[in-house]
Amino acid sequence: MKILTCPLNGPRNIAEFTYGGQVKPMPNPTEATDQEWAHYVFYGDNHIGVVREWWMHTPSSYWFIVERHNQTDEVIRTYDPAELFDAGAAPATEPVAADT
Amino acid sequence: MSLRSPLAGSGVIEGPGGLRLNDLSLARREGVRGAGAREWLMAQGHTLPDAPNQIVASGVLGWVMSLSHHEFWLLQPDSEASLSLPASKAVAVGVWPLYCQHSHAWLQLAGEPRDEIMAKLCGVDLSEAAFPLGSVAQTQAARVSVIIAAHQNQNGQPVFSILVDQSLVRYLWETIEDAMGEWLE
Repeated sequence: MKILTCPLNGPRNIAEFTYGGQVKPMPNPTEATDQEWAHYVFYGDNHIGVVREWWMHTPSSYWFIVERHNQTDEVIRTYDPAELFDAGAAPATEPVAADT
Repeated sequence: MSLRSPLAGSGVIEGPGGLRLNDLSLARREGVRGAGAREWLMAQGHTLPDAPNQIVASGVLGWVMSLSHHEFWLLQPDSEASLSLPASKAVAVGVWPLYCQHSHAWLQLAGEPRDEIMAKLCGVDLSEAAFPLGSVAQTQAARVSVIIAAHQNQNGQPVFSILVDQSLVRYLWETIEDAMGEWLE
């Protein structure tokens, strides 16, 4: 059984979690061009290394962030989004550096 | 208008040694969520848990359960469910009502083997050593999302309150009944 540690609820069976996609900076929806918005919605990085992802603990509807190596599937760290977001703003973050 | 439990007709399951599963879905429960929820509840005179996933007694009528830093449910097992329509607006600045009475059914499991019964259904260790009175787990039991709170009933007996989506409660009731089987023989 795979175990993922939720920052709010502690270690739980992976079946209790839902993947929510990469954490990536959101362009301003009122100013972005169609191309910029489409890129944000439909494209993602595809590098091997440590990636930053959204995950939700389904029974508590709690969204948090996971840093995970997408080749070894090793979870480096899980934490509350408040560490990245400043008062509801889009995350000022680039993908975690790839270790090739 | 009268309320009807989704488990109407199921009654109570009782076994030796105080083992008991009963339906509290017609008891009162309400909740609030928001950045101002803690302060608002404290101003109402409630005692609140210090951290998420805990439950504490508040007054003589009930319990306050924290599901996050900003979400609290009030459980009042001895009061009847509210017949009024739930509030549809913020009850104060930064405090929104939750319709737990309408969204979740409420079961209560009492008796010495309650943790062994739930161990058949739930991956979280609910033994008293790992999950003492005052603990809350938001997890899955029998593959459905549940909230399990360890506290005492009105007789001072330790119990698990189990809150589950209304639409799934009959399934969960029958599943717990099945898990209780070896203690009911």
